[in-house]
Amino acid sequence: MKPTHRDLLVLFALAGWAAALPHYASEFVVSMALTCLMYATLSSSWGLFCGSTRYLSLATSAFFGIGAYTSALALEQMPWLAAIGLGAAIAAAVAVVMGAAVLHLRGTYFAVLTFGMTELIRHAITYWEKQVTGTVGRVLMVVPERDTIYLTLLGLAVLAVLTSIAVRRSRFGLAMAGIGADEQRAQTLGVNTRLVKIAGFALIAAFAGAVGAAMSVRWTYIDPHTVFNPFIGFQTVLIALIGGAATLWGPLIAAVVFSVLAETLRLQAPQIYMMSLGLLLILCVLYLPGGLASLRAQTLRQWGDDIRGGWRNLFSRKAKEAL
Amino acid sequence: MNGHPLLEARDVTVRFGGLTAVDGVSAAFAPGELAGIIGPNGAGKTTFFNALSGVVMPTSGELFAQGQRLTGAAPHRFAQQGVARTFQTPRVFAELSVSANINFGLQFAGRHRAASWLLKDETSILNLIGLVDQAALPAAAITPSQQRLLEIGMALATRPKLLLLDEVAAGLTESEVEAMAQLIRRLRDELDLTVIWIEHAVTTLLKHVERVIVLHQGKKIADGTPAEVVRNAEVIEAYLGDEMAEAA
Repeated sequence: MKPTHRDLLVLFALAGWAAALPHYASEFVVSMALTCLMYATLSSSWGLFCGSTRYLSLATSAFFGIGAYTSALALEQMPWLAAIGLGAAIAAAVAVVMGAAVLHLRGTYFAVLTFGMTELIRHAITYWEKQVTGTVGRVLMVVPERDTIYLTLLGLAVLAVLTSIAVRRSRFGLAMAGIGADEQRAQTLGVNTRLVKIAGFALIAAFAGAVGAAMSVRWTYIDPHTVFNPFIGFQTVLIALIGGAATLWGPLIAAVVFSVLAETLRLQAPQIYMMSLGLLLILCVLYLPGGLASLRAQTLRQWGDDIRGGWRNLFSRKAKEAL
Repeated sequence: MNGHPLLEARDVTVRFGGLTAVDGVSAAFAPGELAGIIGPNGAGKTTFFNALSGVVMPTSGELFAQGQRLTGAAPHRFAQQGVARTFQTPRVFAELSVSANINFGLQFAGRHRAASWLLKDETSILNLIGLVDQAALPAAAITPSQQRLLEIGMALATRPKLLLLDEVAAGLTESEVEAMAQLIRRLRDELDLTVIWIEHAVTTLLKHVERVIVLHQGKKIADGTPAEVVRNAEVIEAYLGDEMAEAA
């Protein structure tokens, strides 16, 4: 079986199981699954662009917030899916402008500027709300059923993974990988890097915008502080890095681990939750640079040997000192 | 041919802050030429190459490929116009296999270009550069001299008209240098490529090229056949020394 066929099979099996979930699971589990789907979509798509090109974007919350506001404003005038599509389109349009302005910068400069622009957008919308509508925050009147939201998010997650599979096999994916490996070399071999970067950035912004548009109705009340929360962007990056940003399944696996941790620990022990997230990141960066997805039986055996070897050395040294 | 040179630099100057790396250099290259560029360290050879391939934008001056103005264009536009290059330190995609490295150029600049049968696909290019046996290895795993060959293969995969070679013979053994020179000559003869070749080892270069440009402190001080250049008083004073002139 070809790897792509295997990936597709796994994806559809998972999606089928996830689609049946709301029919038998408790409200708590469904809410956990929603968080999981949200971050699976955000970090899979983030990894598709940022993992391959190594441009670390912290702007996810900007696109998420833009999507959320779009659907909050548009849902009274248009059907559900149209509002989601509009959220994605506006987020992508903003990404094109933002990308054109900052995508020639690399590394820390790019990361910091995307974060700065996110804050700029958040404050601009807060200001606009105060000046024009006289209130910060909106109550959403028209809200679809829970199952509709759930299926929409599931659809977005499946679409994100499908896009990831397709792009990895395409020239577009090859160009992004070339940019990540050596951008200038890729240019001299004929890649229009500027165009590829802006297109990739807009693509992942569209996903973040769509997720934001679908999630806003879950909260029934939104304000800039919640939907442009930089924490959404940080968590997306953390999950993708912990899972393995350049891999297909890594971000998805990490999103599941993360949402289970989040929902079970956040209420009872918020500090432990944040600490375990931090610890997981440190361990991954130190010992699993390829992320959770690169974990194999081989790796575990290697670690076992290292630890045993370490103990043995320690004991033999102690024994020598004792003599 | 439309009568235009394949690549033309008109009065190209590149400045980095207060330093003038390339100072008003003009040169035109005709189809099928095999030219060398020599000069002492810091003479501006690589910077001139960077300007010719769009990697560095000239501070002033103009660049044309077959009469089309390319000044200020991004490197991929140069590649699309048939200008390919290698880098002094091989910049292969270390994690990709040798054949995937070749495939990269075929997928982008080389995609819609007419190609000789020697550049038909990955296998034919691997044959040409002699890396068939290494095709499946990751590029990081082959020897430095094989990486130099791979660099040339990657450039050839863009199916160029003009090839800029930056010190491809550096660090090679004598027999490897000879093989490299044979390969370069073959590229020119069989693919009708224009080749511009920078080399620090002057003797090697003078033996194989038909035209030499000498750069000194960013300026072009000579341009002619190897025999003319080694007799040029300015070149001898600046660079070659008397013994070279006698040897030639």
